[in-house]
Amino acid sequence: MTSRRDFLKVTGATGTGLMLGLYLEAKALPGEAAIAEFRPNAFLAVRPDGTVRITVPKTEMGQGVRTALPMAVAEEMDLDWSKIEVVNAQPGPDFKSMQTGGSTSVSSTWTPLRKAGASAREMLKAAAAARWQIGVDQCRTELGFVLGPGGKRLGYGDLAEAAAKLPVPKNPPLKNRADFRLLGQRTPRYDGPAIVTGKAIFGLDVRRPGQRFAAVLRCQVPGGRPKTWDDARAKAVRGVKAVVQVPTGLAVIADSTWAAFRGREALATTTTWDEGKGRTFNSAALEAKSRAALTGPADEARKEGDAEKALAAAARILEAEYSFPYQAHATVEPMNTTVQIGQDGAELWTGSQSPNTAQSTAATALGFKPERLKVNVALIGGGFGRRLGTDFSTEAVQVAKAAGGGPVQVVWDREDDFRHDLFHPATLHRLRAGLSASGALMAWTHRIAGPAILRSWLNGQKSPAQASAEANGALDIPYAIPAITVDFAEVEAPTPLGWWRGIEIVPNVFARECFLDEVAHALGRDPLQLRLELLGDRGLVKFGRDEADIRRLKKVLQVAAEKAGWGRKLPAGHGLGLACHAYDGRSYAAEVAEVSVAKGQLRIHKITCAVDCGFAVNPAGLEAQVEGGIIFGLSALFTQITWDKGRTVQTGFQDFPLLRLGDTPSIETHIIPGSDTPSGIGEPPVPLPIPAVLNAVFAATGKRIRRVPLGPDSFK
Amino acid sequence: MPDFQLTVNGRLRTVDADADTPLLWILRDSLGLTGTKFGCGQGVCGSCTVHLDGKAVKSCQTSVKEAAGHAVLTVEGLSKDGSHPVQKAWIAEDVAQCGYCQPGMIMTAAALLKHKAHPTDGDIDEAFADHVCRCGTYPRVRQAVKRAAGGVK
Repeated sequence: MTSRRDFLKVTGATGTGLMLGLYLEAKALPGEAAIAEFRPNAFLAVRPDGTVRITVPKTEMGQGVRTALPMAVAEEMDLDWSKIEVVNAQPGPDFKSMQTGGSTSVSSTWTPLRKAGASAREMLKAAAAARWQIGVDQCRTELGFVLGPGGKRLGYGDLAEAAAKLPVPKNPPLKNRADFRLLGQRTPRYDGPAIVTGKAIFGLDVRRPGQRFAAVLRCQVPGGRPKTWDDARAKAVRGVKAVVQVPTGLAVIADSTWAAFRGREALATTTTWDEGKGRTFNSAALEAKSRAALTGPADEARKEGDAEKALAAAARILEAEYSFPYQAHATVEPMNTTVQIGQDGAELWTGSQSPNTAQSTAATALGFKPERLKVNVALIGGGFGRRLGTDFSTEAVQVAKAAGGGPVQVVWDREDDFRHDLFHPATLHRLRAGLSASGALMAWTHRIAGPAILRSWLNGQKSPAQASAEANGALDIPYAIPAITVDFAEVEAPTPLGWWRGIEIVPNVFARECFLDEVAHALGRDPLQLRLELLGDRGLVKFGRDEADIRRLKKVLQVAAEKAGWGRKLPAGHGLGLACHAYDGRSYAAEVAEVSVAKGQLRIHKITCAVDCGFAVNPAGLEAQVEGGIIFGLSALFTQITWDKGRTVQTGFQDFPLLRLGDTPSIETHIIPGSDTPSGIGEPPVPLPIPAVLNAVFAATGKRIRRVPLGPDSFK
Repeated sequence: MPDFQLTVNGRLRTVDADADTPLLWILRDSLGLTGTKFGCGQGVCGSCTVHLDGKAVKSCQTSVKEAAGHAVLTVEGLSKDGSHPVQKAWIAEDVAQCGYCQPGMIMTAAALLKHKAHPTDGDIDEAFADHVCRCGTYPRVRQAVKRAAGGVK
């Protein structure tokens, strides 16, 4: 299977940036010659005062990379955690692939960062050994010092200059896991103190001397363009400096954000639009087209055995349709970018999950070579995949260019953010199961119909991997069934689409895990027992190009069920439901929901989760990701984007009911490290809350809900 | 254009702005206090929460005219060094993920605990009903409020 993870690898420039950056000769950069830093590679620099600067090659968006990634360097180098400074990398020769997505930040940097730290450690030891005229093997390291026999002790800062003159070892020894002092320990978020004091600088907090602010008036229909306008009314607003045209609309430049917003409101009253080909698009029409596509031709994603034949021979056939809506990322920090253009180059400050692409698209827009674009990666007020897109940074560059160079900060408001998201698309699912007379599950088909995210991402091109990407989560159904067909029928939609935390796996696993629950109940089987039986005694199982270890999936399922008290006597009106998945074949998660429904009101009491994402680098951060992932998944039980006349009906948090603190169930996380290497945890918990809750609703009420979001009629 | 005088984090400030300008933008764009965040501008996400005379208000829904003559406290003024009990509890519970909505949450927590030293779960639910955290830090927010309970003067 080609997963988005593979795709990110392919599109993220060469994918070798980390390795290229690793073994640079120690050298000072221009203008820094006077600072005797020891910089054995692109990831770290030891200063004469002993503090160590660690450069993080991935974007922090709350998932904790500015803590977990430095931990790997600090572990191998034996650093004093209180003496590190964490900075963000910038795209360039040292960092050619900073793309941050697919729950891969830790797994993709784990070895290079450890090697970077280990090589620095070996060089510092060698420098100390030379100073003391003893063998390197007589030296060891501890919290920023090299220690030698007889109480000898030298700080890393004192050794920096000498170490910088030594050759960089190619294959430094890495620590044994038993010797880890920091990795595997609960480590508080590095940015915590800056966040709680308001000092953390997010993209929207960037302030440059002479900076102006801009708001872009865009067509409410994605792809539409302004036809006629009169900028006099906008220019009459106090603080408005200019109105300029950019490819996406009309930008109002002002001396404050508020003035830019006010000016834009005034401009809107004078503007007429060419709404483009999307102007008639609506959710009901898309659903009708998708329903028609549930039968008929489709692109195959997985075929094992002959499911149609097995269905024809089945004693009993179950069939159901599942529905999942469009979703928005709804990051709390709206999109923004600050740009300053000079004579032969430009500088961007942007919260981007794709800094290298932000650099190259900006360079193209300005006619500069990419290396003339300095991209400062700001902290991100929520990413969830939205900021993998570079639409907003490129637009800001165009605004700055039209406005005479900036510095200018383009600010989206909440409505902009909802109307011009890169959406997760709606899908319909038709599932059929063939049961034998003796109650065996003989055949399984899963047809997915809807717009293709991958095509939108590839500027309208259909990739050979399209069906397997859109069927991710459905094609890797982990259960042993003799005949399986999973396919994808594309339905066109004129809306921009993108990756959303949990991607296609969210709707696909929702349909799959709920329908399996239907099978269990139809057979009169316990849903846990049936799953365990269908997982069987298998080990590694291949799904296309990915493979999953069924033993690890079984383990998390068993632990989640046991910890949730599966099978216990429940209070009246309560039900338990479960779901499990091997995410991209790398991270394993199972969740059990306890719910009750009274007078048409659903209450979600508790989610119990067991995860195995390999070695837990920072258990505190891992638990936070599980809690956050579950809450993200639960919100999607209630939220949706719908379309009318080519526009989103929803324009803000007021009509996109994300979970609030008071709605949040108790969440219990159990970490099961099933491997010595870390995989990923940002997304694996996300797809499971919806099926777990809806399976629990069935257990509590006998009502099978196959359509999200839940509405007032869901429990009638 | 009118001048407005307001006390921000103990310091008297004079700003020249239209009377209906939201306090949020006065803080962020005129005074450079970017700790107070813009999330929705519609009063439904809580990211812009500050204290006005000790009460939690949404600065995107409070005009500079309404704030004039009053004491405004932002996250930057909550303590000199992050030592406010709520800030300490936030660190101890490792609440933040991306951190963007957190200053607003912290200001709401500080106001809640000032008026009710030991809030119930129901009080906490109600106080945070207008806050959105897309990262899902809610369970830790609740824990941090409980940890700080009794410590806010």
